[in-house]
Amino acid sequence: MKRLFTSLAFMASACAQAGPMGFNGSTMAMGDFSPNWQEAWVNHAVTPRDAFGAGGVVMRSDDRRSASQVSRTFSELTYTRLLHRVNGEHSQANFWFVGGAGRLTGHDFDGGKTMLAPGVSADYETTRFYVSASVRLYRAPGINHDFVSARTGFSFYEADYDEVQPWLVVEARRMRGLSEKTEITPLLRLIHKRYFVELGVNSMRQARANFMYIF
Amino acid sequence: MKTPILKTMAACAGIYFFAATAASPALAVESVKVTVNGMVCAFCAQGIEKGLMGMPAAKLVFVDLKKKVVAVEAKDGQKLDPQKITAEITDAGYDVVKLETVQLSVADIKAAAKAQK
Repeated sequence: MKRLFTSLAFMASACAQAGPMGFNGSTMAMGDFSPNWQEAWVNHAVTPRDAFGAGGVVMRSDDRRSASQVSRTFSELTYTRLLHRVNGEHSQANFWFVGGAGRLTGHDFDGGKTMLAPGVSADYETTRFYVSASVRLYRAPGINHDFVSARTGFSFYEADYDEVQPWLVVEARRMRGLSEKTEITPLLRLIHKRYFVELGVNSMRQARANFMYIF
Repeated sequence: MKTPILKTMAACAGIYFFAATAASPALAVESVKVTVNGMVCAFCAQGIEKGLMGMPAAKLVFVDLKKKVVAVEAKDGQKLDPQKITAEITDAGYDVVKLETVQLSVADIKAAAKAQK
């Protein structure tokens, strides 16, 4: 049976706690790895609200023995914009735009196609709780892999800036055209100053690891 | 006879130097404490810390995430500009709700914060 392709979570879902870009002048590197999904990207914040980057993802559906297995490779240049931020006494809410353009290759067509991938996301977070949602369109001629995800999580305790803070996060995500299933992944997240790591096992019992680092 | 006189003169000079040093505001430890809205995670704090450390007069920065306070200590003999600190934090995407200058080092502020927890 064909299973879910893991998602094009990219920036919006993996980095809700920290945002899909770093502070002004910083460079952010991120990776998201599971058996059916290997992704890496980097972006550089040229202002507090704008970042340019590049990334790539190799993905496949889970039915490895089937002739109908889908595979895709997407390389893109990205632009990220913080559209709006609302600061509260103990909270922060953000609205983001993420746009990408690049080359898509796949098992079921020759050569490459130009893919455009605009998306928006929103997140709300405190030092103990956060929730986020993102939608991103992945369109190329004859191909539609629109993506949606939602995340929520809580921290086990409030931590100081110089301490590691553990979180429990649950993500649900879904991608059109690759699977009709929704992938659910509980993740243990550790965040500390410059780095962020997540480890989990998804609803298909596949291990997943994410990381993010700010230079 | 010369030795007691020299000792007395040296002692007087020492007392004068100590008094002048203590009275000089330029050599007093001075920090700026800022309460920041929206600073909820380590990545937020890191950006603020890096921005403030880039200011020429900043010697040390301390972030208290729980209380949403950032403290900046001035370099010896230098003065911190509250307006520039506010601008740095605001430009980074956060809101400054309170700012005060205190005659404390960042180490003192950090110790006080730890003692309260």
